[in-house]
Amino acid sequence: MLGAGGAAALAGCSGDNDGNGNGNGNGNGNGNGNSNQSTIDPGGEIPEVSGTYTDVQGSSFETLNPIYNDEQGAGEAIGYALDLGYTFDTENELVPLLYDVTTDDGGATWTIDIREGLQFSDPYGEYTADDFVFYVQEVHQSDAFASANSSEWTGVEVEQVDDYRVEATLENPSLLWPETYAPLEYPIPRGLIEPYVEDEDEEGMRQDEELLELQFAGNMGAYTLDEWVRDGGTSYSRNDEYYLRDVAAESDGYFRVFEDAPYFEAAEIDVIAEESSRVAALETGDADHVTLPSSRGKEFQQDDGTNVVLVDTPYNNILSVNMRDNGWTAGPGNLFRVKEFRQALAAAIDKKELIEGVYRGFHNEHYTWQPQFSEWFPGTDDLTLWGNPDEGVYGEEARELAEEALEQIDEDYAYDGDDLVTPDGNQVELELYHNSASQTQELAAGIYKDSFEEYLGFTLSIEPIDATRFSEEYWGAADDIAEAGTTVEYQDKEFVWNAPNPSNPGPREYTSNESWDFGTIFGLNTYPLNPLANSAFFDGAGAFYNPVGYYPEFDAAGLFEQAQNAEDREELGEVFDELFTNLNEEQPYIMMTFGVDIEGYNPDLVGPTPDFANGWNSPAWYFDD
Amino acid sequence: MGFAQYVGARVLWAVFVSLVIVTITFLLLSFAPNPNISQAATQAALEGGDPSEAVERERELRGLDQPLHVRYMDFLEGVYTFDWGWSERRSQPVTEALRQSIYYTAQYSIPWTILTLLIGPLIGIYSAANMYSWKDHAATGFAFFGWSIPNYFFGIILLVVFGVWLEWVPIQYSTNVPVFSLENARQLLLPVFVLVTGSIGAVMRVSRNESAEFQNADFMKTAKAKGVSPLRAYAYHVMRPTMVPLSTTVVGQLLAIFLGSSLLIELVFGIPGLGRLTYDALIAQDTNLVLGATLLFTFVAVIGNLLEDIVFTLLDPRISYDDR
Repeated sequence: MLGAGGAAALAGCSGDNDGNGNGNGNGNGNGNGNSNQSTIDPGGEIPEVSGTYTDVQGSSFETLNPIYNDEQGAGEAIGYALDLGYTFDTENELVPLLYDVTTDDGGATWTIDIREGLQFSDPYGEYTADDFVFYVQEVHQSDAFASANSSEWTGVEVEQVDDYRVEATLENPSLLWPETYAPLEYPIPRGLIEPYVEDEDEEGMRQDEELLELQFAGNMGAYTLDEWVRDGGTSYSRNDEYYLRDVAAESDGYFRVFEDAPYFEAAEIDVIAEESSRVAALETGDADHVTLPSSRGKEFQQDDGTNVVLVDTPYNNILSVNMRDNGWTAGPGNLFRVKEFRQALAAAIDKKELIEGVYRGFHNEHYTWQPQFSEWFPGTDDLTLWGNPDEGVYGEEARELAEEALEQIDEDYAYDGDDLVTPDGNQVELELYHNSASQTQELAAGIYKDSFEEYLGFTLSIEPIDATRFSEEYWGAADDIAEAGTTVEYQDKEFVWNAPNPSNPGPREYTSNESWDFGTIFGLNTYPLNPLANSAFFDGAGAFYNPVGYYPEFDAAGLFEQAQNAEDREELGEVFDELFTNLNEEQPYIMMTFGVDIEGYNPDLVGPTPDFANGWNSPAWYFDD
Repeated sequence: MGFAQYVGARVLWAVFVSLVIVTITFLLLSFAPNPNISQAATQAALEGGDPSEAVERERELRGLDQPLHVRYMDFLEGVYTFDWGWSERRSQPVTEALRQSIYYTAQYSIPWTILTLLIGPLIGIYSAANMYSWKDHAATGFAFFGWSIPNYFFGIILLVVFGVWLEWVPIQYSTNVPVFSLENARQLLLPVFVLVTGSIGAVMRVSRNESAEFQNADFMKTAKAKGVSPLRAYAYHVMRPTMVPLSTTVVGQLLAIFLGSSLLIELVFGIPGLGRLTYDALIAQDTNLVLGATLLFTFVAVIGNLLEDIVFTLLDPRISYDDR
């Protein structure tokens, strides 16, 4: 709930783009729906406590142990019973929950102030700076434990200042440190984990029942976890001691809405794997919240029995092109390596038609590596709107770009009438892999095929594939990985692979087991709150994540370094503008659309908001009888 | 050979068979790539470490550096002392995971099995008694409709009609409902109905064919001539010999249907049972849980076979134990 999904895994693959995610986090949303009357009025009466809130999810949880969980769904299940350190509201402002995170030296040193009066369950006592520092130093920063947040604390020096204050000094200053979710932690009692730390017993810590069942949560969660039925879901009862009530009593501002929070007697998450059963549960009133498939969105929007809230997500739909040596299977050379050809691909597809035809209008157009609701989106004036027939570059102009690209390669590809032909004189045919379990990907693949045939003269063979198989055999390279320190010179720039790995095995000659051309299987997180995290994708050719073998033609690494050292948000904005304008031109992935989650709610529920921050104040939600 | 000796011999045979299967499972596992090891190598690569060192460390940690026979003995000890390891996907011991999922599976599979065994033979004998009449065709049609319509699809249709439109049954399976309650009966009504209609076809067909040969047997003519009521004649003189061949196939048939159907039914109705556990364990490559589920099904099949043999001899007293 409270921002729990934000600390997603780095790559943030959305995998399937059928709208089954939950957009937690923050931003200035532009979502809409029929939900405007259901938001909380901070000046209104404090509601009565009543009923059971039933949430339905599509998949079960691997673990509820907060130290090891890295799944969004399980994060939400934990969030009912245990708050995280802080969250962001709809204005993109940091809201301190368990603690506040501030800096006064441009992001080099951060002060973490823990709220007084936070109590663990017996026998662990009060949550203090000592618990925080012990957890970070002895678990996250220890080689013995592979906790979910280990990588966030590398190179961060943590020191206890007094009982409630911690000081964290970063290796490289960062103005956006809280937005990275790096200092976002669950409270973990020192007394509980200390025996495992002393014995370096990771298995014991992973399997500890108190951690797995959140028995230590004390007053730090809105609800108390009663039961976790594996594959069945979780059930909770209201926590009478919830600390936010005390916070509300001492504040005049928005926190007042938590005066008697939470406002449900009980809560539960039911796991229903089958989509139509899940949707039926909302229709019959058995569920108060279900994420809807885009194919049913309009139907539910017109139904008074459901409140539909559209929530922007940071996940994109992209068409990946393989620039490595086992890409471009049509013949010699690889046109994907030429920027103008990638632009041609982006320009050949009408994005609006794609959104209407495939996503029933429930997606947003994607031009650069940020959604339009992001504070860091550079604005459409500075971008080329690829695939926009009215204001951008589209259709016949795509063909011109492709012809420009042909001039830049040594191989003898050419246009024979409308057809793009290989040096042997055959029409170019390429392969496109889509997720066999996703109907929307299949539909989208059909549109790509028609568009490329019409405007670029090559044909596609469309191949459905299991996402796991694609990931293992096509997307990542487990066997063929370069030595650390391998370098390559490309267009007068030198790229170094300091940490080659399956997601970026090395220069273009290091490839996956199977050859491929196009893939629509994975969408990626664009990190709209903290674009610095995108260095993992674009910090040069040797970036952490680069399965497609993209070599930036602009100084991406330099821009990320500038952003890292920026002294204020204005300077950051200028650097990000340049970065995203360049990415818009280079189209390292052909950027198509941004996902929108279609959240269906009980119409009597007051609280959900149609924006990226939906859920940040969930303990204040209530039923309006 | 007396009955006790016969049962003793069959039990020993069952133990031997289970040992063979467990051994084969162990060998297959030993030679299959271990996902934990490849994961450790990948993790090391991601963190800039040495993948081969990580592999060695992981092998040591999991005891894979021990000789094969030592690992085999440890494995056997673990299997027969029910120390089946930890399920990574569910974060609980494998035996606990199996126990929990069986608890939910049993709630629909016990009534399903009982109803199948009651209704299937009855419809079969009814059909045979009215062979080639409209009643026979109607009974056969009913049984085969359930058998031929995919359970998954049938379940969704029934859920839409009775759950969404009529709202007679809940859409969601709730684990908070007491086992012996009307509410539980209501939520299990559709899954049981779908499974029973899906499985009586095969049972009914065998019963019909087997009982057909007894309809006009001499002992039936004698019974009828003596004035025995038709109900009694069918129950004693047709049902009993029909059940003998049926009992040899029903366990296997139900197990096969169970493995396939229970997963789909559990997916549609959201029941956290054994089918979903097995399927999810396979998808997630949760080795311990896959192994646990395999062992469980092995033991169920071996014990089922044993019971089948015993029932067979009890139902047909003409069969000598010496023949087996």
